[in-house]
Amino acid sequence: MGVTCVCQVPVAEGKSVQQTVDMLHKKLEQLGAVKQGSFCVDCETYHATGNSSSQPSKLLYVMHNSETPLSCLALFEGGPCLIADANFDVLMVKLKSHFQNAKGHKVESRGSRYRYCDFLIKVGTVTMSSSARGISVEVEYCPCVVPGDCWNLMKEFMQSFLGPSVPELPSVFAAKPEGLFAPADCVDTMTQYLELFNKLRKLQIPGSNVR
Amino acid sequence: MEAPPVTVMPVTGGTINMMEYLLQGSVLDQALESLLHRLRGLCDNMEPETFTDHELVYLLKGQQGNPFILRARRSLSHPTAPWHLRYLGQSEVGDKSRHALVRNCVDVAASHSLPEFLNEMGFRMDHEFVSNGHIFRKGAMKIVVSKLSRILVPGNTENTEHLSLSYLVELSVLAPAGQDTVSEDMRSFAEQLKPLVHLEKIDPSKQRH
Repeated sequence: MGVTCVCQVPVAEGKSVQQTVDMLHKKLEQLGAVKQGSFCVDCETYHATGNSSSQPSKLLYVMHNSETPLSCLALFEGGPCLIADANFDVLMVKLKSHFQNAKGHKVESRGSRYRYCDFLIKVGTVTMSSSARGISVEVEYCPCVVPGDCWNLMKEFMQSFLGPSVPELPSVFAAKPEGLFAPADCVDTMTQYLELFNKLRKLQIPGSNVR
Repeated sequence: MEAPPVTVMPVTGGTINMMEYLLQGSVLDQALESLLHRLRGLCDNMEPETFTDHELVYLLKGQQGNPFILRARRSLSHPTAPWHLRYLGQSEVGDKSRHALVRNCVDVAASHSLPEFLNEMGFRMDHEFVSNGHIFRKGAMKIVVSKLSRILVPGNTENTEHLSLSYLVELSVLAPAGQDTVSEDMRSFAEQLKPLVHLEKIDPSKQRH
């Protein structure tokens, strides 16, 4: 696991989500990137039912990533996170009287996985309740685990196929002390996906309760 | 550095509906060696395995009904190993045709942030103890002979006191629901351990004081 950056790519003007995705695929293939299968990242939202305490209940997110198919990641926004095996999903079913699954809020990003030298690129369509909400691009630079050491290289690479919509250094890395490496458990990647999913959720349904 | 190609999609759901079949008994400390000797003879040929675990029992209290119980265990002898989180359902003991106690069981391997995470979920630690002993296997059957110790100062696993002058003996099998034949195998195995130890179907709900 190297350093990853997850960003949202705007839909090209006058094009559909699928057409924009196809354009990105074409650009990557022109660069020489090779398609290597597909990927999927999903996120379920749960909220605590028993609101016995005075504080408002926090949302609990349970995420999966095809890159780590036997694991599942559970996290509270800005709070602690847990890496567990797939049986955690079964446990959440047992816990359904305490944590309710907001079924309509399952978000996922699905798409193709490309490899270009030391980079892994995943172009995904973000969907929520079967409607396409946007496009995600994940770029991973595999040989390095120190974000500060490879960010400029990653940025330059992303410019080559994303053009001007290259993101800033992800906040998960910016918040860390200089030189600190990304953990091998893909928590940083998933945190970025969660931020993106939450942004897309709020974008499309303004004013409505996200829960 | 070559990243592996992705071939598997996320497995959601895990292993649904696993049941634990359980028989329990105990032996006095003096009888431990002869029981271990017998188990070494009966069980699969493997390296003798010992363990020292710290178990924390967490409760989540809802507005009504019984609290939801989860057991978090960590190995004190292998501190870098993942934590083990366990949910145990209501035990079914009534059925006379079954020779073992049967209960729903969910086992989850989890990272070291587990206690902090359970706290955030609203769980509160109810009690904790240290369990150390020996593990044996015979096919799918697991035999655990363990000594339970109470923790005198919360969180300090160095400072403990034995709960009793005996060892807990547990014979268990994990199997998908409906595979009741495993309880037959367990019964015949338990027969072979007599008279060193009498393994029985014990109803935990009747043990509460």
